[in-house]
Amino acid sequence: MSPPPLLDLRGLSKQYPGVLAVDNVDLQLWPGEVIGFVGKNGAGKSSVIKMLAGVVRPDAGTIMLDGHAVAPRNPHHANSLGLAFVFQESSVVPNLTVAEHVMLGLGFPRRAAALIDWRALHAQTRELLARLNAALDPAALVGHLSVAEQRLVMIARAIAQRARFLVLDEPTASLTDGEAQQLFTVVRRLSAEGVAVLYVSHRLDEIFALTSRVVVMRDGRVVAKAPTAELSRAELVAQITGVSGDRLRPRPSPPAATTELLRVENLTVPGRVEAASFTLHAGEILGIAGLVGAGRSELVRAIFGAEPGARGRIAVRGQWRSIASPRDALAAGIALLPEDRRTQGNLLNFSVRFNVTLAALSNHRHAPWLPLPSRRSEQVATQQLVERLSVRTPHVEQPVGLLSGGNQQKVVLAKWLHHGADVFLFDEPTHGIDIEARAAVYQVLEELAASGKGVIVISSEFGELAGVCHRALVLREGRMVAELAGPELSEAALVQACFGA
Amino acid sequence: MNKSDAILHSRATKRPAFWARRPIGRLLTNFGVPLALLFTVALFSLLRPAAFPTWRNLDAILTLAAPLAVTALGITVVLAQGDLDLSFGSVIGLAGAVTFVALAEDRWALAWPVALLGGLLVGALAGAINGALIAYVGLAPIITTLGMSTALVGVEFLFTDQQTVYGNVPEAFTQIGRGVWLGLNVQVWLAGLVVLLMYGLMEQTELGRYFYALGGNREAAHLSGISVKAVRMTGFLISGLAGALTGVLIVAQSASSSPTAGEPYLLPALTAAFLGTSMFRQGQFNVLGTTVGVLFLGVIQTGLIMLHLSTAIINIVQGAVLVTAILVSRFGARP
Repeated sequence: MSPPPLLDLRGLSKQYPGVLAVDNVDLQLWPGEVIGFVGKNGAGKSSVIKMLAGVVRPDAGTIMLDGHAVAPRNPHHANSLGLAFVFQESSVVPNLTVAEHVMLGLGFPRRAAALIDWRALHAQTRELLARLNAALDPAALVGHLSVAEQRLVMIARAIAQRARFLVLDEPTASLTDGEAQQLFTVVRRLSAEGVAVLYVSHRLDEIFALTSRVVVMRDGRVVAKAPTAELSRAELVAQITGVSGDRLRPRPSPPAATTELLRVENLTVPGRVEAASFTLHAGEILGIAGLVGAGRSELVRAIFGAEPGARGRIAVRGQWRSIASPRDALAAGIALLPEDRRTQGNLLNFSVRFNVTLAALSNHRHAPWLPLPSRRSEQVATQQLVERLSVRTPHVEQPVGLLSGGNQQKVVLAKWLHHGADVFLFDEPTHGIDIEARAAVYQVLEELAASGKGVIVISSEFGELAGVCHRALVLREGRMVAELAGPELSEAALVQACFGA
Repeated sequence: MNKSDAILHSRATKRPAFWARRPIGRLLTNFGVPLALLFTVALFSLLRPAAFPTWRNLDAILTLAAPLAVTALGITVVLAQGDLDLSFGSVIGLAGAVTFVALAEDRWALAWPVALLGGLLVGALAGAINGALIAYVGLAPIITTLGMSTALVGVEFLFTDQQTVYGNVPEAFTQIGRGVWLGLNVQVWLAGLVVLLMYGLMEQTELGRYFYALGGNREAAHLSGISVKAVRMTGFLISGLAGALTGVLIVAQSASSSPTAGEPYLLPALTAAFLGTSMFRQGQFNVLGTTVGVLFLGVIQTGLIMLHLSTAIINIVQGAVLVTAILVSRFGARP
């Protein structure tokens, strides 16, 4: 006789216009369990979570907590029921302190009347953070913390709510492996204390390392539930994608061409990157590895002219170029897919067409001397790219903000493929996107290399770098500390070089 | 973008299945304010059938709206690019004063096209300084344009000695503000021309696309290779020019220049632009929306005056009608 489940979802359904987002989902969670909740973007995971958080109401079905039906009205109500949520785009308030953030809305300790007892507040916060092994100053501003630390603050907040059920949505996105390990320790401790955790991740390694059961969603339905130990990686991938394909990562073909496309000499971004020098050849995919904060993004942004204080020399196809702005970089034949597709890559309120043609609008003039874009020409070009990259959008006039993360990333890709360049810089191109979109990104990288372009890829996932790149540079604290290629280039070697072990 | 495409665009932000079931919702969302405008016109026509629905009154309303429309369209560009310009009220006053002083027979007595050009140049210069300080030096738009506003009032007082300036000006010049062509005031035709030009600029040109891109996400626009600084600067330049043209229209109509003539335009222009965000391009500042907003303000004001209401009541009703118009369009947007 097993104990009753903490949380019992029965027949949950949610219909959005034109799509059944969640279709009759049953899901049980027992105290102390860590469940891997996986599926492609758009499979319905977020809709289930939103129903638990009271952000959307289910059309049918019930949510039972301790055997009683509950209906979360809004996130605050859900919190008061003991459900806590740490979302992927962690919504922190940057100008609050750690302590304020942890306790915001949970009732600050008071002195007389309405005055906040800051000393008690900081003591409480320090205690909570200690349970997470997080050595954070309660008085530090959240905006000054790293993404990993911000996530710990959100988890501390969940503990402060005495949550018995915790949803972690892509908690390791943009965390380094070391930071992720720290997070796993926290999750294991919470689960030992009896908290049920619903763990959402696209990184299958984490699912296997951390969870006891896996629930797979596809097209709004739960298509598989199994103890993690009974699943093989291939089976899990097959359940997620619905196809039994094993080619999710391309195998690098050795670079044949030897034309030097890019030469970087003594590139320095004060305080971030120290005298980086390297070359990139036609047909080559060059990886840049390093922990978050090692200067990876600053390095590629500097090449793209987006780091105003940068010094150093850059040559494209053997010619020294003066690159002071992204505009100069594009003119020199360098394109950058930035780290954050939402804040740096896309204009979310504008259509797919608007975004795809933005960088190359002058290609669509009615006449070469007339700076008036032809909408027809834009639509045709955009439609072609949408089909080539399989962007899931009803039409090219759909605002990008309404697309899923993977499809938003494809739109940024489409923008740069449309503009064209000799050297493509990709900063975390697969960050937080699903397996299918990843495969599309990898395919683009390969095709670009095969067509004689040069590609530089930054990734926090070392396995990905080892699988995709011909060669990889390792940055540690702003310095290039290693270059790995051929058989030397492995996940283990990258980890070792990054941590300086 | 042409009109049907603008509608297509705003429709794309909603899900078609929902619209198919809620045609009234769609109508209200996209056309709530234009419908409120029609309703208001009908109401005033019923209440004052002899005075309101007449050609003369149409001309009066449009003539009242013309200078406001010009400056409101200028500010629309700055708002669309995600900035704010609070100096255009003073630009209106200064450009008007400069033009008038340059014209007046007992002052500088310059030829009227030269004086007009001088006035426009003053506005362009003020806009360029705003733009340079904000886009290139990196100052905050609100405080910069507020400071500019105060400084410009000072410069205007240097020209006018804080007095209303009268004087003989050539009839060719006053025709700009008073002349009638095809039954409507010349100002109305000029403002109509500005509407067309600005619509073309914002919806049909690369520059217009870049204004919207800056307003959407300046960082992403920068990383897409757009010259953010130059585009921002151009926006302020256009706002300055538009303000100056409004100033010229005002002095041409009154054949005098009164100090702080521009201030009364500040709030209505901003109101019209914000009203405009509820139309055509949902949630975005746009030329047609601002134009309808200006007309709406003109109709309400004229209609309420015709009803012989007290100023107190006029203010209350005006405010209530504006909020209601926005409410109606939001009501339709609610799923």
